[in-house]
Amino acid sequence: MFRNRGFRNSPRGRRGLFPAVFYAAVAMAILAAIMPFWALSDRPTPAKGTEDLPAGAMQAKATTACLECHEARIILQQRLSKGAWTKEVDKMVKWGAVVDPDDHDALIDYLSTNFSPDQPAYEPPRTAAYRNTSDKSAAKPSK
Amino acid sequence: MSSRRKFLKQMSGAALAAAASPAMLTWALPLPQGQSVEVAGEDGMILRSFRFADLETPVEYFNSWLTPVPHFFVRNHMHEPSDVNADDWRLTIGGEVENPVTLKLAELSKLETHAVVNTLECAGNGRSLQRPQVPGIQWGKGAVSTARFSGPRLRDVLRRAGVKPCGKHVMFRGLDEVPGKVPPFIRSIPIEKALDSDTLVATHMNGAALTKHHGFPARALVPGWIGAASCKWLTEINLLENEFVGNFMSPAYRFPNQPVKPGDAVKPEDTHPLTALSVKSVISGPGDGANIRAGKVVVHGAAWAGEADVVKVEVSTDGGSTWAAANLSHERARYAWRLWNYEWKAKGGNYAVLSRASDSQGRTQPAAPVWNPSGYLYNAVDQVKVHVS
Repeated sequence: MFRNRGFRNSPRGRRGLFPAVFYAAVAMAILAAIMPFWALSDRPTPAKGTEDLPAGAMQAKATTACLECHEARIILQQRLSKGAWTKEVDKMVKWGAVVDPDDHDALIDYLSTNFSPDQPAYEPPRTAAYRNTSDKSAAKPSK
Repeated sequence: MSSRRKFLKQMSGAALAAAASPAMLTWALPLPQGQSVEVAGEDGMILRSFRFADLETPVEYFNSWLTPVPHFFVRNHMHEPSDVNADDWRLTIGGEVENPVTLKLAELSKLETHAVVNTLECAGNGRSLQRPQVPGIQWGKGAVSTARFSGPRLRDVLRRAGVKPCGKHVMFRGLDEVPGKVPPFIRSIPIEKALDSDTLVATHMNGAALTKHHGFPARALVPGWIGAASCKWLTEINLLENEFVGNFMSPAYRFPNQPVKPGDAVKPEDTHPLTALSVKSVISGPGDGANIRAGKVVVHGAAWAGEADVVKVEVSTDGGSTWAAANLSHERARYAWRLWNYEWKAKGGNYAVLSRASDSQGRTQPAAPVWNPSGYLYNAVDQVKVHVS
């Protein structure tokens, strides 16, 4: 059984590979037909590396306070109660986030309204297909 | 064979089609919204965070015993060091030692090399499945991967400095760049685990020098333990009398001593530091929500158990009423996952397909998650829903 369903190959198994490649080729042809020119050039696909925080009265202040150290996705993917958001904001203030005391409650309201447990889950993007990148430190020999 | 050649060989099936268009997506998997983000050295990974980088391995990549490096999950707590190079890098060993020493990479590579195939899993893997939800990176099921790590044994490195009898804990510090007033990512492990013959200062992964995402030029490799124990960009080792005191030893990476009612708070004194991983299996195919044809369907996945051995993986195709043993693949190593498969004669209908692993310590995956305030060690029985037509 393992011989036929070699674990090192596609999980579909050898016999399943042909249809997969076929469908992939068809999908590719359709993609190529509908895609703008940039998608076929040798440039990375133009998705933004980092995201923005949602619109609202506190957007600018939250951006300053939070995104200095990390990007918005760390926030966009959370689904927390107001109590949990309060703990997070207080922890981050201790860790250097600059929040005016007058904005403290409004910031927590902004986060707990936009990122409450009843919101649908955040759908993360994928990274692009592998390219031989120029990570110099990684490429350097180890001795 | 180098990991890159191996990887390219594995890719060769799709290579012809891929050559025709850079938009051809790896393994023919659709990317959400038709968009993707370029991250150096990575391939089709789930982007949990770009800055700093946190990348999850899609479960459908759990189809090779060793994970190709571009598919190996990445967990960073801080920013990667902006300037790290092999010539200037140093590793200091100090604290409760006879002779503090500083080693260059060239000196490190003169020590005997040892290889360990290890399944590395983030303690927070599966956090997004906890209810109520808890803060942290909202990992799905894929903050886990397996590689052959190699480099000198940590105990040989420690021997260069000579550990004093009072040196009972080994602290690791990496070169992560710390933003704001965030506590640095420093943790410690007990001396017994540090002196284990399989604990490494790893410089290589799948036969190639570590990439920057994985801790170039050297990282700790603490096999069978939570990923956080295996400090990346290692630059300082300190021998301590007591466990290191800092955020990433407490309150982070601790688990309640007693079961907790979901949503309840836990006092710090009622917790202990996380060490070895739990027993766990994940279904890598068919995918959740898949539409499949009736007939022979191979349900497959991976199972691991930290320092224990996986002894059994069972599959249920009737929502957990009955279970049948899956086949375990022959590729195995003490700290590595086992791939498994199960041949299912599927008839039309809607199904919940479950997998559950048991290990040599008598542990079995629980039916429901063991909730805890930080969402660590999620290991409930895995489940995918499929429609058979």
